[in-house]
Amino acid sequence: MIDTQITKKPKTIAEIHAEHKKTVGQPFCKDAKFSTRNVDVFYGDKQAIFDVSLDVGKHEVVALIGPSGCGKSTYLRCLNRMNDTIDICRVTGQLMLDGEDIYKKSQDPVLLRARVGMVFQKPNPFPKSIYDNVAYGPRIHGLTTNKAELDEVVELSLTRAGLFDEVKDRLHEPGTGLSGGQQQRLCIARTIAVQPEVILMDEPASALDPIATAKIEELIHELKENYTIVIVTHSMQQAARVSQRTAYFHLGKLIEVGDTNQVFTNPAHELTEKYITGRFG
Amino acid sequence: MNTGTIVLFLLIFAGFNYFIKHRKIYAVYRVNRKKQSNKMTLPKYFGYVASMWSLIPALLVLLVIEIIDEPLLKSNITNYVHAENIEIGQDLDLYLNDIKNIKTDNIKDVDPIKLKVHEHYQNFETLISKAKTIIVISLAVLMTIFGFKKVTINTPARVYFEKVIEIILLLAATIAILTTVGIVLSVLFESLRFFGEVPILDFMFGTEWSPQTAIRSDQVGSSAAFGAVPLFVGTMLISAVALFVSVPLGLMSAIFLSEYASSKFRSFAKPVLEILAGIPTVVYGFFAALTVAPFIRELGTSMGLSVASESALAAGVVMGIMIIPFVSSLADDVISAVPNAMREGSLGLGATKSETIIKVLIPAALPGIVGGVLLAASRAIGETMIVVMAAGLAANLTVNPLEAVTTVTVQIVTLLTGDQEFDSAKTLAAFALGLMLFVTTLILNVIALHVVRKYREQYD
Amino acid sequence: MWSENTENSMISKISNTEKVKKSLKSRYLKEKIFKFVGLSSIFVAFFFLLILLSDVMMKAFPAFIQTKVELELDLSEENTGVSAKSDIKEIKDVDYRKIIREALSAEFPEVKKRAEKKTMFSIISTGAEFQLRDMIVDNPQLIGSKQKIELVADDNFDALAKGQIDLTGEQKRFDDLTINLYKELDEKGKVNKSFNWQFFKTGDSREPEQAGIKGAVIGSLYTILVTLLLSFPVAVAAAIYLEEFAPKNRFIDFIEININNLAAVPSIVFGLLGLAVFINFFSLPRSAPLVGGIVLSLMTLPTIIIAARSAIKAVPPSLREAALGLGASKMQTVFHHVFPAALPGILTGTIIGMAQALGETAPLLMIGMVAFIVDIPQAITDPATVLPVQVFLWSDSPERGFLEKTSAAILILILFLIAMNALAIYLRKKFEKKW
Repeated sequence: MIDTQITKKPKTIAEIHAEHKKTVGQPFCKDAKFSTRNVDVFYGDKQAIFDVSLDVGKHEVVALIGPSGCGKSTYLRCLNRMNDTIDICRVTGQLMLDGEDIYKKSQDPVLLRARVGMVFQKPNPFPKSIYDNVAYGPRIHGLTTNKAELDEVVELSLTRAGLFDEVKDRLHEPGTGLSGGQQQRLCIARTIAVQPEVILMDEPASALDPIATAKIEELIHELKENYTIVIVTHSMQQAARVSQRTAYFHLGKLIEVGDTNQVFTNPAHELTEKYITGRFG
Repeated sequence: MNTGTIVLFLLIFAGFNYFIKHRKIYAVYRVNRKKQSNKMTLPKYFGYVASMWSLIPALLVLLVIEIIDEPLLKSNITNYVHAENIEIGQDLDLYLNDIKNIKTDNIKDVDPIKLKVHEHYQNFETLISKAKTIIVISLAVLMTIFGFKKVTINTPARVYFEKVIEIILLLAATIAILTTVGIVLSVLFESLRFFGEVPILDFMFGTEWSPQTAIRSDQVGSSAAFGAVPLFVGTMLISAVALFVSVPLGLMSAIFLSEYASSKFRSFAKPVLEILAGIPTVVYGFFAALTVAPFIRELGTSMGLSVASESALAAGVVMGIMIIPFVSSLADDVISAVPNAMREGSLGLGATKSETIIKVLIPAALPGIVGGVLLAASRAIGETMIVVMAAGLAANLTVNPLEAVTTVTVQIVTLLTGDQEFDSAKTLAAFALGLMLFVTTLILNVIALHVVRKYREQYD
Repeated sequence: MWSENTENSMISKISNTEKVKKSLKSRYLKEKIFKFVGLSSIFVAFFFLLILLSDVMMKAFPAFIQTKVELELDLSEENTGVSAKSDIKEIKDVDYRKIIREALSAEFPEVKKRAEKKTMFSIISTGAEFQLRDMIVDNPQLIGSKQKIELVADDNFDALAKGQIDLTGEQKRFDDLTINLYKELDEKGKVNKSFNWQFFKTGDSREPEQAGIKGAVIGSLYTILVTLLLSFPVAVAAAIYLEEFAPKNRFIDFIEININNLAAVPSIVFGLLGLAVFINFFSLPRSAPLVGGIVLSLMTLPTIIIAARSAIKAVPPSLREAALGLGASKMQTVFHHVFPAALPGILTGTIIGMAQALGETAPLLMIGMVAFIVDIPQAITDPATVLPVQVFLWSDSPERGFLEKTSAAILILILFLIAMNALAIYLRKKFEKKW
């Protein structure tokens, strides 16, 4: 009698997670920009990412969602090797950008980061002028040959980030003097000034108010014409609004990947469903 | 009775008062503890308060007497000497010292007039000593009785006790202020006397420094002898050499340690740098004078340059080496204070580490670094032993680091070591130099500490 | 180069990647140079430390060796005028210098001229007669016969025996006679070298071979003791007040500004304070460890206060709340819980402050601790000197014998400092708590 009671009891989330082996949905796509296979990430002895395989298609916006501490940011930081800056972090598995292994010895992280830009959770403008913030990337990479070209790149980047009209009269004032939302758009402008192929965004709107968030989302919409974007977000609404595909992470495992609409309306996996419906988070 | 014995008596009174008060209250306490449910102050606090009554007023009075008795003695003897029309023929302080140190066991060698003064001195000293004993002991007895009566079971003993302790703690904290006031008064007072003899403008802007000639009576206070400009220039020259060595080396060490080094290398290198900081300055002075200076001299000679054997370069370089750990740890602090987001922002755009450091971290940390450099400059200006041992005494007005120069601190030491009368312009000049040194370093420190604090607040 | 057109954009992207690639070589070179400059600046510092320490050690080593000359001394009763049973006072009054000189003359009968004799006598230290006297006072049975006794050699002879004098070349500053005497004695096996215990047993002296560091070590110990007794309680009290009791007002801000500034005031200024206030105003004795200790404690106070405050700050508020929640008063909380928890940190800071005080020289010069003092101080009011000042004094002496003494004194000073710092590190490691 006791036995039957136990079998009838619904599985806990931890049990479902422990049993989960293979990602549900369509993690792969044909024309992949990024293709990653069996990625494990360790911090010292602790494993943070378990066997994640996922493709990101060209000119696609992929949202990574999941409860906090699920490894979505860690996975994102593998894609341009930002994890290299943490001594104890170790990445195994295969990560390819345009069919090239980004963790191979001959791969230059500097070149990789010039191709795969990143926008961070908290706006982090340098303590320099707005102009110098945007010009920083082109300058270090030697992308422009003269001042006129550089001016053009700065103006165009700021325009694309939807910031130019707001700051055109004070380009030489410190970037730290802008509002939070403007700072984040400045950081996006700074990233696209290098003209990367992919932009990684790590919860870009989490520190911003709703109006600034709306502007950032609008910006993502425009950017996806030219760029491949991977965005980590804790807001499901935001994922639904900006992305074509959504990947759901849970405690280091990739549970489900699919068309955004399908994931939010008809999740295939029990955990995804519980998360979407707000049973935990 | 001497002071030690008096203090011993006071302690005995205090212990006695503690003991009987504690016993008395404890008797009540034992009974009450069983009856009353509410908590009661422990008996020991009543004992403490009672013993404080015996101890503190008497100790304060004793302290006051101890402070005034020397000046009192001095003025009494001075009055006596004047009243008796005794020719002292030397500096008053030295004369008083002679009087005090007369040993009565071989009277025959002593000048009889001095002996008379000595007798007077001894009589007066005995009088003070007796008065001290009577006043302090009777006060202690009175206060012991008063305190015993005053402290009853209704006294909030713990609150009183803790209030007194808090006041004692506060007094300890104000010693910092007293020290500063003491420094300011001692250098200012003597400096003013000096400026009474030598015009301040001659001191500040005169270009010739030769205090030794001022000993001759016809030249006392001669303005030509106390022009401090060569000292200021010499100090700045050596400090500049030191900063020229220590700032780049210290800054680069800090950058390497905080941004590049593995944690293993760091845990080895940091203590080694700390050793460099812990070596006494006199050792650096020895090293500079006996090893570095001859080396630089020979090196210069082999290149056809004439280098003084006590060149500013040798002292400056060694001082620079000494300051490296200081600069390095300050720079390490300010660079670590730059938020990680800055590093990631730059690396995320594809900057290399050195580009990130040069173009983002250093500009961001610049105010802090400037503050650190100012503090290092203040250290270099005030550093004494290295320059005393390795820099010269000759007050040359030059900015050539291969020549010998002298510094403010060297001159202070030279003017004040050895026996000389305290009132001469020569010794007073040392205090005037001390005043300059104190004011300069104070300004540098205040600016630097302010800049560094503002910088920290920016990223907190 | 920038275009909204996708095709053009693709081309420009490729060219962008190419541009980045092209720039990489020189950028990585710069990176390497930068890293190399960083590493080398650390190694420059290391290199200097190594040179400094090995220089001092190499110079110090000979100081621990003492050269002695074995002489056959005529201690017969006729020659000394006393017997083994004589009164100690009489034995003390014997003219030992004469005995030593006679022994030297007997050793070298060929030396006849007055001037040459003077040179010959000077190979034995002027202190040897006192050494001999003390030896015989302790062992009166030596009187009555001829004894072979080793006597301390003069510093010049000592340098000769240690091979520090260049005997070849034209610049030799030594007279031939001394060199010949040395060679003769050496061939007879009468020049002996042994460990220099005397260096640790005596005070300062004008003669390098007799100078020891005991006086300076004792002086340092007294001074540090005074410093510790004054600065530790005051610093702890001040730190506790500022961290736990101080209200937020201008007066407290002023105290804090003062403490931070005092930490950066040059040490020599504290010496001026000591001279003007403690010696001239309060008439405390010059050159005494008492005044030295007071001055050094004022100097180290800010260091200890700052260290103690950060140790107290590191005690978690939960500990205070726990005690206060049980009805302990603020004072009880601080003295029963916070202070014991912060004690290891405070002790570490105190030891570092004491190490700083132990190595300090400049302020002590101001208060007269630079005097030449032979006697070993017996109390904190006796005239004394301290180790670093002894280093300064010896380094200033022209005799070459003092060079090695200076280095040896430095070595001993550094050993003391290492011991103190090791203790501090041990305390920090042992009691390090992660709250």
